[in-house]
Amino acid sequence: MSLLALEREVAALIVHTLKLKTDWSTIHPEAALFGDGLGLDSIDALELSLAIAQTYGYQVKSSDPEIKETFSSLRSLARAIEKNRTK
Amino acid sequence: MSNAPLIALYGPDDTLTWQADGARSAGEFLSDVAELVDSLPDFPSVLNLLSSRYEFLVGFAAAMVRGQVTLLPQSRAPQTLRRIVGENGDCYGLTDRGDPVEGLPCVALPSRGRRSDRTMRVPQIPLHQQVAVAFTSGSTGQPTPNRKTWGALVSVARDTGSRFGLTAGRCRAVVATVPHQHMFGLEASVMLPIQHGLAMHPGRPLFPEDVRMALEEVSGRSVLVTTPLHLRACVMAGLKLPPVEMILSATSPLARELAREAEERFHAPVNEIFGFAEAGSVASRRTVNADEWQMLDAVTLAGAEPDWSVQADYLPRPIRFPDRIAVTGHRRFRVLGRMEDQVNIAGHRASLGDLTRKLLEIDGVQDGAFYLPETGHAPLTRLTAVVVAPGKTHQDIQRALRLSIDPVFFPRPLLLVPRLPRNETGKLPREALRRLVEEESAHES
Repeated sequence: MSLLALEREVAALIVHTLKLKTDWSTIHPEAALFGDGLGLDSIDALELSLAIAQTYGYQVKSSDPEIKETFSSLRSLARAIEKNRTK
Repeated sequence: MSNAPLIALYGPDDTLTWQADGARSAGEFLSDVAELVDSLPDFPSVLNLLSSRYEFLVGFAAAMVRGQVTLLPQSRAPQTLRRIVGENGDCYGLTDRGDPVEGLPCVALPSRGRRSDRTMRVPQIPLHQQVAVAFTSGSTGQPTPNRKTWGALVSVARDTGSRFGLTAGRCRAVVATVPHQHMFGLEASVMLPIQHGLAMHPGRPLFPEDVRMALEEVSGRSVLVTTPLHLRACVMAGLKLPPVEMILSATSPLARELAREAEERFHAPVNEIFGFAEAGSVASRRTVNADEWQMLDAVTLAGAEPDWSVQADYLPRPIRFPDRIAVTGHRRFRVLGRMEDQVNIAGHRASLGDLTRKLLEIDGVQDGAFYLPETGHAPLTRLTAVVVAPGKTHQDIQRALRLSIDPVFFPRPLLLVPRLPRNETGKLPREALRRLVEEESAHES
């Protein structure tokens, strides 16, 4: 799957998992997911990590030195999933 | 007895925590505290925002020795901190290095040597000394102070420990996913270990894999102090956790099914604590086999049906239960339901009525209501709201809500509808609201 297609899939996963009333296609791939951007918080991060583990077999962990980068935007999250996915 | 020791049941070389350079003993902890005591500025109270659980404890202990009250904000949101500082004027911040709070005199913990007080001069703190103020956010994020004495914290810690038979012989450490600036976090992840000679993991694992690693790092049987949200995540992630002595859950109701799955998966009893910020921990139960709550030893019931309160020597007055309860036996009760329209999300309590009022205050909103979705066995994580606001977008409403309510109560989904199903008396029957939410959710997805 191309990274672009994966980005779309992850955007849809975020919107579905977190029940956002945002059209997934309008999430800017480089906009902040947390704080001022989509306004997600740590409860969302936990929910999202579960969905990611179930869908892609990737167990997110905070001790990963790139964790901040991973959750910073849709694009970086898709990249991390691409790199770490087991399914 | 008018004093109680800062820490109990440790020898000087017993591990109290782990730092980047290895285990830190009780003797070293006492040295860390003594060193900090002298360097704290002279203010009556301190906002302790230290993110390491161990550093938080060093700051909390040093402040107590100096007679300073520790303020425990529920979140680091700038608005919350500004309000707390505004209302408690004379305070300073204990903050992580390089992360001060704007407009507040802040100090970071000095880098510590590795001296150890092998003589174990443990500070004695007067039981009546006011040592902490826990803030509850309410619906609006307006912090309400709950004052805690050292006696209240020590009593709850000792009674919780004896309820579950926690001793250094049986387990080694406490690992916690809850913030130590939260009332349950302070009681179960800071006070519980230091009053029982146990070690504490300094971190705050969030993701299931973090929890697994933290339990592994303590290399011995641990008590996992957590919430239904984190517990569900750990169960669903299907991880194999290192052996756990016990799991202690609080902050929101734990479904029995989830408790059963967690017990099976982690081969440990899952106990639940009932408490609220105003009174602290009040009762416990093993969720898989009891609906009833058994009160902690120092707490008694006061009042009468239906208006029950808890009282204890360490509480200034009887404090009303936030939920409706039925007394079922000697020092036992069942929770019947939420009082009026109280909701609890991730340990934050609010009333649906208050939240709805905030929603209706938004410019352009003609009608609207917050709604508590049914989540089955899953813990409640988000509220739903339905709004009538012609010409407004989701973003308009979200942006306005952001200014008036605590973020944990932001509705997801927020449904824009042409009208609400009010009956002829203008009331909004819950069943009609439930149908509307179901139809709208199906329609929009």
